[in-house]
Amino acid sequence: MSNAAIELINVKKSLGKKEIIKGLSFSIDRGEVFGFIGPNGAGKTTTIRMMVGLMQITEGDVHILGNSIKTDYKEAIREVGAIVENPEMYPFMSGWQNLMHFSRMIPGITKERIHEVIKLVGLEKPINEKVKKYSLGMRQRLGIAQALLHKPSVLILDEPTNGLDPAGIREIRKYIRALASEENVAVIISSHLLSEIELMCDRIGLIKNGELVATQDVNAATDQDSATPVQMEVTPIEHAIELLKSNHDIDATSDNGTITIQSERDTIPSIIKTLINNDVLVYQVSITKSTLEDKFFDLIGENTIE
Amino acid sequence: MSNFFKLLVNEQYKLYIRKSTWVMYILVSLIILGLAFLANFAQGANAPGTNEKYQDSNWRQTLQQENEELKKQLEEEEMMQGYNARQIEENNYYLDNDIQPNSYDAWQFVMENEFLLSLVSLFTIIVAAGIIANEFKWGTIKLLLIRPITRTKILLSKYVSVLLFALFTLLYVLVFSWVVGILFFGINGIDPHIVLNQSESYSYVSVIQQIIEGYGFQLVTLLMMATFAFMISAIFRQSSLAIGIAIFLMLAGNAIVTFFADYSWAKYIMFANTDLSQYTNGTPWLDGMSLGFSIIVLVVYYLIFLVLSWVFFTKRDVAGQ
Repeated sequence: MSNAAIELINVKKSLGKKEIIKGLSFSIDRGEVFGFIGPNGAGKTTTIRMMVGLMQITEGDVHILGNSIKTDYKEAIREVGAIVENPEMYPFMSGWQNLMHFSRMIPGITKERIHEVIKLVGLEKPINEKVKKYSLGMRQRLGIAQALLHKPSVLILDEPTNGLDPAGIREIRKYIRALASEENVAVIISSHLLSEIELMCDRIGLIKNGELVATQDVNAATDQDSATPVQMEVTPIEHAIELLKSNHDIDATSDNGTITIQSERDTIPSIIKTLINNDVLVYQVSITKSTLEDKFFDLIGENTIE
Repeated sequence: MSNFFKLLVNEQYKLYIRKSTWVMYILVSLIILGLAFLANFAQGANAPGTNEKYQDSNWRQTLQQENEELKKQLEEEEMMQGYNARQIEENNYYLDNDIQPNSYDAWQFVMENEFLLSLVSLFTIIVAAGIIANEFKWGTIKLLLIRPITRTKILLSKYVSVLLFALFTLLYVLVFSWVVGILFFGINGIDPHIVLNQSESYSYVSVIQQIIEGYGFQLVTLLMMATFAFMISAIFRQSSLAIGIAIFLMLAGNAIVTFFADYSWAKYIMFANTDLSQYTNGTPWLDGMSLGFSIIVLVVYYLIFLVLSWVFFTKRDVAGQ
């Protein structure tokens, strides 16, 4: 058995003759936050539904702490907490009644645990109100509370930032990170907006048309040493371009009073030094980060559903 | 508490916390109260059912006098023929056997409210139709199924919940009718008897036995239709469709059998067999039917309903809306 908290082994799903998930394989370790990104219709939700046993797996298998979701369903699902699509709860019951309801379905959940979870998601005040009066953000929190009740090893959140305000997103990000590092939970977060989850994931997998196109370590993507575009606001521009060419062998392009060069991070100080020593006035230097978004947009191309 | 018991608690909780369930109980209560008021009001007029006028030592004369009046009426008015003839026959039975008619009481009120069971059936159908379909409508089915509990167990807890609802509602109708009956009409001891027309002759029967028989026979239809609605709900995941089909069939069942009565396979239609009382008071509806035959047909239908519910609930994917 591997160390992975959850492992997908060549998972396929066919509806009729159409194969909508074409052999996904990846694994997530405990304490890791994995972002599951893809355009709408790429198969994120279908994959998540197969991971929690709501949909049957046509081929392949999902192992949760070594237990197959196909053959050892009860043992496997016991370690999973999830929100699938929207955080839907019984609207005619209060938040507390909803949590009590779900706590009765898994052995060993105490009242103290329920209070603890409510406190964690910050729902102490509205917990006795009916869920139909909740805002989407409150429902999202209740959904997370429900998923955490039984202290799962794997937490699957489908679009958890949906409907949250920036403060709410920040908070969710904070306790997802905390869950991963303190409770050693493997977290899987799906989203179609990379920018929203980029900051809370360790690793991001990109799914397109039912295939995993790429996986990327978040830190590696932002800290790379290769040449990145650098913009500089300088006068006089012509003199600066000449200096860069002669001293550093760098081709610069000018545009609207700024020049753009390709440079490694380490050489920037010496470039600035050259410019200043030659009486060029430097107003501003900025490094354009090549974000994950650009990288993924290149991979996905247009946002089309085939 | 065992696992399954907790699931039942959940299902009952979700059922009884909703206002729509309480509306059903309020409706039943209002109807029972209304019926009691009507019966009470009728007592003032010359209502034979209430039997108030036979409660003295002159009850024989009163009965004879009534018979003569009824006979006179018979000759004058064609309209009242059937009713009066029956009333005379009933009165004669009391006179011939020297039985003093009991006054109308809570037991008889309960017995007459037997027809309220079709209302209980209706409510049970509504509950059965919604208990699966609503989880899909609310989207909560996803949270319900990702627990360490097999789908079979969840399905069973829902089905048993429907049966419990039917049982509770039935008991409510019985008890509430009885209590209202006592308040309005009083009660004649533990096990009063009355004269009833059964299989074209009159007999002196226990009211409680009548209650058990009457309600019991109707329970067959209730059970079958509730299970049917449950199946439709599990297959199509839509409550309005399940309610619609089940109620339509419940109302049109007899017409369907009559329509196909000439065909030899008509006796295999479920609705030809749901009324088991045809074997105690009267002749079977169609040729070739017996009590054993009907029970086998019903059991087969029942198993088909349950198996289809199970297959569709446990095997099918829970996909997006």
